[in-house]
Amino acid sequence: MRHMKNLNKTTKDNLITYGMVIAAYIIVEILLKAGVISSLLQGLLVPLCVYVVLAISLNLVVGISGELSLGHAGFMCVGAFAGAFFSNSVKDVITAGEVRIFLALLVGAAAAAVFGLLIGIPVLRLRGDYLAIVTLAFGEIIKNVVNVFYVGIDGSGLHISMKDKASMGLAADGNVIINGPQGITGTPKDSTFTIGILLILVTLFVVLNLINSRDGRAIKSIRDNRIAAESVGLNITKYKLMAFAVSASLAGAAGVLYAHNLASLQASKFSFNTSILVLVFVVLGGIGNIRGSIIAAVVLTLLPELLRALNDYRMLIYAVVLIAMMLFTSSPAGMAFRERFSLKRLRERTNEKEEAQ
Amino acid sequence: MSFLSYLINGISLGSVYAIIALGYTMVYGIAKMLNFAHGDVIMVGGYVALTMMLNLNVNPFIAILVAIVVCTVLGICIETIAYRPLLGAASPLAVLITAIGVSYFLQNAVLLIFGSNPKSFQSVVTFGNLNLAGGALVVSDEAVVTILTCVVIMVALTLFINKTKAGQAMQAVSEDKGAARLMGINVNGTIALTFAIGSGLAAVAGILLLSSYPSLTPYTGSMPGIKAFVAAVFGGIGSIPGALIGGILLGVIEILGRAYISSQLADAIVFAVLIVVLLVKPTGLLGKTVQEKV
Amino acid sequence: MALLEVKNLGISFGGLRAVDDFNLEIRKGQLYGLIGPNGAGKTTVFNMLTGVYKPTDGKIVLDGMDITGKSNIEINKSGIARTFQNIRLFSGLSVLDNVKVGLHNQKEYTYSALTGILRLPGYFRAEKEMDARALEILKVFELDAEADCLASNLPYGKQRKLEIARALATNPKLLLLDEPAAGMNPNETQELMDTISFVRDEFHMTILLIEHDMKLVAGICEKLTVLNFGQVLAYGDTSEVLKNPEVITAYLGE
Repeated sequence: MRHMKNLNKTTKDNLITYGMVIAAYIIVEILLKAGVISSLLQGLLVPLCVYVVLAISLNLVVGISGELSLGHAGFMCVGAFAGAFFSNSVKDVITAGEVRIFLALLVGAAAAAVFGLLIGIPVLRLRGDYLAIVTLAFGEIIKNVVNVFYVGIDGSGLHISMKDKASMGLAADGNVIINGPQGITGTPKDSTFTIGILLILVTLFVVLNLINSRDGRAIKSIRDNRIAAESVGLNITKYKLMAFAVSASLAGAAGVLYAHNLASLQASKFSFNTSILVLVFVVLGGIGNIRGSIIAAVVLTLLPELLRALNDYRMLIYAVVLIAMMLFTSSPAGMAFRERFSLKRLRERTNEKEEAQ
Repeated sequence: MSFLSYLINGISLGSVYAIIALGYTMVYGIAKMLNFAHGDVIMVGGYVALTMMLNLNVNPFIAILVAIVVCTVLGICIETIAYRPLLGAASPLAVLITAIGVSYFLQNAVLLIFGSNPKSFQSVVTFGNLNLAGGALVVSDEAVVTILTCVVIMVALTLFINKTKAGQAMQAVSEDKGAARLMGINVNGTIALTFAIGSGLAAVAGILLLSSYPSLTPYTGSMPGIKAFVAAVFGGIGSIPGALIGGILLGVIEILGRAYISSQLADAIVFAVLIVVLLVKPTGLLGKTVQEKV
Repeated sequence: MALLEVKNLGISFGGLRAVDDFNLEIRKGQLYGLIGPNGAGKTTVFNMLTGVYKPTDGKIVLDGMDITGKSNIEINKSGIARTFQNIRLFSGLSVLDNVKVGLHNQKEYTYSALTGILRLPGYFRAEKEMDARALEILKVFELDAEADCLASNLPYGKQRKLEIARALATNPKLLLLDEPAAGMNPNETQELMDTISFVRDEFHMTILLIEHDMKLVAGICEKLTVLNFGQVLAYGDTSEVLKNPEVITAYLGE
């Protein structure tokens, strides 16, 4: 039956994506063992995983649900701080790093999901660019508020202030955990490349399975035609919110991974520019194309490092490459060029010639 | 009296936002493109003016003119490189990304030329502060000039759009590109003109902003750029009076928020007000509600 | 008893009275036509029946249940499905998936998001059944061979059919078709007429359609209501209505 073939095609496609991630992991591990990866590149492995997870999760909103979100870093921020706060609070109780980060990932994902729901309910009533600007606004608000957050703990329990360290009224033996603009320091460095890869695989599992299920179909149909989707009885808000919250929680998990890779974590790291960076991965990788998001995230994260030899010019060249890639992949002229010189087309042309003879 | 002085500062800052927002709103209205490089044009304008005044010892007035010319040309370049090739692209987001690419490019080019250390901008307004109410209320000369400039630009632009052929061509193109082309309007030229005017205005806004807040770095443009974008949405994107109202409200809220609530949370307050406004009026204060026909 | 009963339905947009005192009674299994010149308010009536617009006054009763003023989502769930004058398909989904979205709300195919993500047995069972049911519906419209195609790649005539198939998949009591033959050539129209009749007989469906193609209207509709300037000009058996001099004037001018 034809549609069975179709089902298999999707499954096959997904398996390639999983396989690609696993293969990359194995290759990197072998190279690590062989000692041929520079320490600089080693330091990039966890951030790479963070960006891949962010890109996949943002694609769920931008590509599958069809809403432009410019506040993805905000959810990452919530996850990062919730996860780091958790790990800092329990680091004396739970000493096994793997267990601790597993729990921290759950905490961060849950916290970000809650924020995704809270923000999504009002935001998703808006359309198009208005929605985009409000997500941007929420992202900035989260960053700004976390930036003035002071949380400490002492014998009498938690102390929270939004003014300064002193106004928490912490006892002398108290411990400051979140210190306003200085953020959180001393988070255990529990993130590893292996955990990062596992998080990518889980993210893929959640996103790909959601997309190819009843609810995913509903999300895509709302993207394609909202009025028709209502006419067949779909609850628009429910499905938009589902995509938004799942995406937020995965971004939160990425934030946890990020936070456990840094000695100190500040809210200022989750600025609008981070959201934009992730959006660039999604658009360049192909909107709605999950595998493309992964590849774009990896290539664009490595690119500035590969250009390091060019010193000061590297970010300039990065900008030029970004514009050029976008023009090549998306402009009608670029598409026509690729159409003309693509391998498939060349092969067809040779076949035509042969037939003509 | 301090409230009044905050209010005037707010209106002054808001006037700058309004001028930048005009560029956003015009480009958005005609090209449906969120031009993320717009904020960086402000910064380029600032560097050009500063170099003219500081290194070449040119009269501030000429420095401003040169900055406007450079930014106008820059605007046309952005249109040609980042926007026009993507007309008819499959996804409207493609053009957003090239705009971001241009933004990165401008920031890093300036970084290479001028370095990352903040430069101190030298105010172009030098006739001295105004002392009102017997010295109880001091209004800076920059504030006065900024507000007046904003008013002049608003009036001029409104007249331009409604009374001139080129202005009406802009309205036609923003309404329907295809129909405008059939009516013999040079669509590409009109779009380029819009980018040019928006960028020229950005140069003016940049110089006014830096005259009041003199620290200049390659990243100076990005936050005012975002806020002006917020102002444009606030007032109803695509609407010129909307950009004015949005800009001024935003400036006033920011300054009052900083003065009375918290300097660290001022930005958060601005964004929170935006969210509330959009939830009550989903297309901004003066935005048109377009209902999809079934 | 009538399946659909519409009484004194009216709607105003600002000062404009788009539809006024509209009455309609459709019996179960009837194929009913709503005709009238352009701008008469036909699509507005459809939009009120399906909850896209809230009527200013009047009452809509479907199968004994008052559905006046309900949302379009609720109205679909209570049993009215529709197609659109300007085709509205889920263009990024396959033909099969378009129909499966139509099946979305039916209890036997429902499973939770978690079942879908974790690929629990319920997922495989429901998806298999949905595939089978969707293909069955597609077969009626001779679209089963194109099940894997993207909906946007279908030729125009087939897109119209797919829209009907999707509407049918929601298992409605009443099917509203808004100019199903618009843009079709005479052959395609003839084929469509056969399909609509077949759907009515096969699914025991009640159908209300808007159409300008008089051949189609005269060929398959049993009863007609004629709208002109937002008001009912005539109604009754098709052959009689089409002979009514007022109707002819409204259509052809004096």
